[in-house]
Amino acid sequence: MGVQLAAEEGFKPPSTADFNLPPVFGDNPFTTKPVFLVFFSVILISTFFIVSARKALIVPSKLQFAGESIYGFVRNDLARDVIGHEFMRFVPYLFTLFTFILTNNLFGIIPFLQFPTMSRVSFPYVLAIFTFVIFHYVAIKHKGLMPYLKEIMFMPGVPKPVYILLTPIEVATYFIVRPLTLSLRLFANMFAGHLLLLVFILGGEHLLQGVIGLKLVSPFAFAFGIGLTFFEFMVQCLQAYIFTLLTALYIAGALADEH
Amino acid sequence: MSRKNSDNENISNSQNEESALWSIVGYLLSGLIIWGGIGWGLDRWLGTTYLVLAGMLLGAGASIYLVWLRFGRD
Repeated sequence: MGVQLAAEEGFKPPSTADFNLPPVFGDNPFTTKPVFLVFFSVILISTFFIVSARKALIVPSKLQFAGESIYGFVRNDLARDVIGHEFMRFVPYLFTLFTFILTNNLFGIIPFLQFPTMSRVSFPYVLAIFTFVIFHYVAIKHKGLMPYLKEIMFMPGVPKPVYILLTPIEVATYFIVRPLTLSLRLFANMFAGHLLLLVFILGGEHLLQGVIGLKLVSPFAFAFGIGLTFFEFMVQCLQAYIFTLLTALYIAGALADEH
Repeated sequence: MSRKNSDNENISNSQNEESALWSIVGYLLSGLIIWGGIGWGLDRWLGTTYLVLAGMLLGAGASIYLVWLRFGRD
């Protein structure tokens, strides 16, 4: 009955189709909104940090302070505390990663942009591939290929037959689960968050067009939508942080000597 | 000076714990996926239905053992 009613009223709940945005120019699949958002984020980040660092003063301006706070956060709290004394080499990558993901996530709640780029799974995939290549490269360079593989595959101090059980798990962790969870965690959080906001805002709008009883309920849907927008802001910052933190942890693991 | 050293140690301890936390989740997940996947493949091959469950249980057990080896032994 309820389903029938909904079908008659014609409310289409948001679905995955809402993430397949049509190309802006003709049929070119490289001109969709997410692609433009990525380019826009790069311009935005570059401009912000160039402007904030251009006139470096002893007593920083507000803008310089903001830029340096973000940089200081990534360098000290993420890179230095996690990686240790060799951290400076990785600060550029971690910093780029953090600001890039953060900006693209925040696009999800910025009015008129309102689309988190990372809710298209290819973007997190590519970022995870970067991290994957970097931490394996660092480990191979630091330890040598064979010792590194041996360290991954064979736990010391275990009877030999047990390796049949454990080696597949270790290999899968390092080569499949790590990049996959890294990208899917970011993707799923952004995807679900955007969908949630769509449900409440579009639902509220639809209720507004209904009978008077439904109109009265509609503000609650909008209120929830606004509340969830703040919640999303938290999730978006958190996911950018976690992605960068895990990258730093993997690099730290690659540099760590056998315990 | 000594205070700074102990601060650094505290930080590295908490970071180790954090790192262990994420690694443990990864191990548990991949144990389930890998041995569950092997069980599923054997099921398809042999036409049975219980090997996927056996594989997942084996994988969960093996990954808990692995976590103990990595983080609980000393």
